[in-house]
Amino acid sequence: MLPQAPSQPQFPSLSLHTGFPPTSIGMILPIAMNALDTKEMWFMDFEVTYTPEQEAFRAEVRDWLVNQIPEGLEQPVDPGDLSLEQYEKSRLLGRRLGAKGWLYPTYPTAYGGGGLSVDSVMILEEELDRYGLHLPPYYDSGGRLGGASIFVWGSEEQKQAFLPPIFRGEWRTWQLLSEPNAGSDLAGVQTRAVRDGDEYVLNGQKIYIGSLHGCEMMWTIVVTDPDAPRHENLGWLMVPYETEGVTIRPMELLTAGGEGGASPGLKHTVFFENARVPAFNLVGGENNGWKVATTHLELEHGGGGMVRRNKVVDRFLEYCQTTKFNGVPLSQDPDIREAMAEVFIKNEIVRLFGLRTYWLSHAHKPRSYEGPQTSYTRKITALEVAEEMLRAVGPYAMINDDEWGPLNGLLEHNQRAAVVGLHPGGTTDIQKVIMSRRIGIGRHVREQAGRLR
Amino acid sequence: MDLGLTEDQELLKSTAASFVQQEYGKETLVELEKTPTGITSELLRQAVDLGWFGIIIPEAYGGSGRSFTDTAVLFEELGRGPVFGPHFSSGVLGALTVMQAGTEAQKQAILPRVAAGEQMLAVAVTEPNHGWQPEKIQLQATRQNGNYALNGVKLFVHDAQIASHLVCAVRTGAGNGSSGISLLVIPKDTPGVAVRTLTGWSSQVDEVRFDNVQVPAEALLGDAEGQGWEALDAAAMQAIPILCAYTVGSCQQVYEMSVEYSRTRVQFGQPIGRFQRVQDHIIGIVNNLDAARWTTYEALWKLDANRAAASSIHLAKAVTSEAYLRVCHGGHEVHAGVGVISEYGLTLHTQRSRTLYHLLGDAKLHRRRMTDALGW
Repeated sequence: MLPQAPSQPQFPSLSLHTGFPPTSIGMILPIAMNALDTKEMWFMDFEVTYTPEQEAFRAEVRDWLVNQIPEGLEQPVDPGDLSLEQYEKSRLLGRRLGAKGWLYPTYPTAYGGGGLSVDSVMILEEELDRYGLHLPPYYDSGGRLGGASIFVWGSEEQKQAFLPPIFRGEWRTWQLLSEPNAGSDLAGVQTRAVRDGDEYVLNGQKIYIGSLHGCEMMWTIVVTDPDAPRHENLGWLMVPYETEGVTIRPMELLTAGGEGGASPGLKHTVFFENARVPAFNLVGGENNGWKVATTHLELEHGGGGMVRRNKVVDRFLEYCQTTKFNGVPLSQDPDIREAMAEVFIKNEIVRLFGLRTYWLSHAHKPRSYEGPQTSYTRKITALEVAEEMLRAVGPYAMINDDEWGPLNGLLEHNQRAAVVGLHPGGTTDIQKVIMSRRIGIGRHVREQAGRLR
Repeated sequence: MDLGLTEDQELLKSTAASFVQQEYGKETLVELEKTPTGITSELLRQAVDLGWFGIIIPEAYGGSGRSFTDTAVLFEELGRGPVFGPHFSSGVLGALTVMQAGTEAQKQAILPRVAAGEQMLAVAVTEPNHGWQPEKIQLQATRQNGNYALNGVKLFVHDAQIASHLVCAVRTGAGNGSSGISLLVIPKDTPGVAVRTLTGWSSQVDEVRFDNVQVPAEALLGDAEGQGWEALDAAAMQAIPILCAYTVGSCQQVYEMSVEYSRTRVQFGQPIGRFQRVQDHIIGIVNNLDAARWTTYEALWKLDANRAAASSIHLAKAVTSEAYLRVCHGGHEVHAGVGVISEYGLTLHTQRSRTLYHLLGDAKLHRRRMTDALGW
């Protein structure tokens, strides 16, 4: 993606830009200097300039989007309020983006991706962000993480079978990992898949699954050999949503706080009772499922980094500046001003970690502890920031009342989401465990980060 | 020096603990959290019969006349639920406000009814310009034909839905200072009074609207205008350690839930309590819990022993409000996923930690007032 200068003594320089207005994506991935350009950079550059081709692409995206956003498409503040109608609009947009290869833009066109570079992704994200949307415009962590895993570990036939429907937006995908007895200890899953002819028969239970309004496809990790050693006994399977023997029941959570911004709505328990799945759907080989999982776990543990702005923080800061009591903005109260500074600073660190990790992964730099560090910092900061907001705006932070609730309930939802968000994609303690292994402390051998390509 | 409870206090404690255990199972609490009043009429009647609404009201006014520490012992057990409802708003804050502000006749008229559960008080202080300083009270009560007329809003009033009477802080005098504030006792069914629950994560916190409300001059609590703030503040200072005790009880419950979970939840082949990281969370919980507990107990002792208590009360509130947030955070780290399942019950405490954070003043306010009380 980023051309490597053949024999230059130093790294190709990469520029990062942060100059966007608060309502747009603040980061752009860097573009490398032209490999033939011999100009030397002696410092890191957080600024980017768009090439004429990139600006032309932006113009193309912007024009196209004008007529493609379904009328009235809106993301609710509380994902638990997502109506079926709104969801279907977001899926329609997804299919339209998918037809252009713009839903999962960096994947090869042969699989329904756009074959585009990472900077094009940033342009797409920015243009969608102008409508309050992102890629994909619906909860599809299963598609994002599953797609990445299939891309690394799938056979060519599997890639042809599974990737195009995900990348074209025909399939929205749930990931099924946790079980009642296997949360942090994910390798301890007990859902069993027994080979029977050219099918696997599944029995077991998965929890904290999904979103509102179902999906087309699921994937899961299951025990394929109960006698094999830990980590060598699992299989990774794609399971169609409509499979007989699959029962789905909603769980009632404080809120379904999302992974890095993709708030999904309600979570579910999924039961497998003699559910039959084609053996073709096993990706990466029998008993090799844990290796496949290392790819999506790395992404889920922050390994991909992130570049989206934190809208809640942006809007909180704006709210404090525009809300007045007795004619004086909240931001002029020294205590509130201090709280705003605290919120801003903490969030800047999260932003920079996310950016750094994003650059590392997309520039194919070696990664060690940075992914889980990003996750850990994001989670802890989210709670600390929520508490700081509570101190700053008082009991207003706890209400979504039509008349008095700030920002249509955004702050209230955030109070709940910050608590829930400590856990999905690995607890804060698990992030620390992984950080330690990657740094190489407490063990003889430094653990390697999961493959992303 | 003796930091133990008396026999009477132990009895009160175990009675309350049994009651809460029996009547307030997880399912009941989860359901009650979402109701406008937080309590059923049956549970309310039982609490009244146990004397809980008159616990701090002197015997001369129909109560049990127990000490602040006794009352705190009860409220610590209520906090373990966490029990919702007007026990504190009416039986403690409301009653203490009437004790501080009311004339003898008013105390005779109101307090026995509060103790008997016939009247339920909700103290309405904060407004849209939220804060617990006297200058934040701006709702005017103007004299009109021998009445007080009110137009405006009180916001974030705890337990107004179940109240029969609102004890309302209003501005009767000129200027912005504390000397212009009076307290009015307003029957909730007075024409023009409207109570509405504020939706969201907080529970039993309400908006009270006054639309051309007229109350007779006798609604004034006390015999003269302009004494409301002093009385309210004095009552709040006495009520705060009781609120802190409720918080301590809730923190205690989160601590016990976390210890229990760390013993029974097995991952990676062992109870998770074996892992130092989980231990660290629990140690964090207990350190915050005990800081809350002992700052609260000392403040209570000073009140009961008629010592100068102000700085200790402010300290206890500042410590307890923040400790509550940290304890709940620790509890969630220990429990992970199961802790955010509504029916598990941990999130009830998390909600309370946020909802109660600002009641009677936040940590910042009390830190400042503590420094004043210490004469720095």
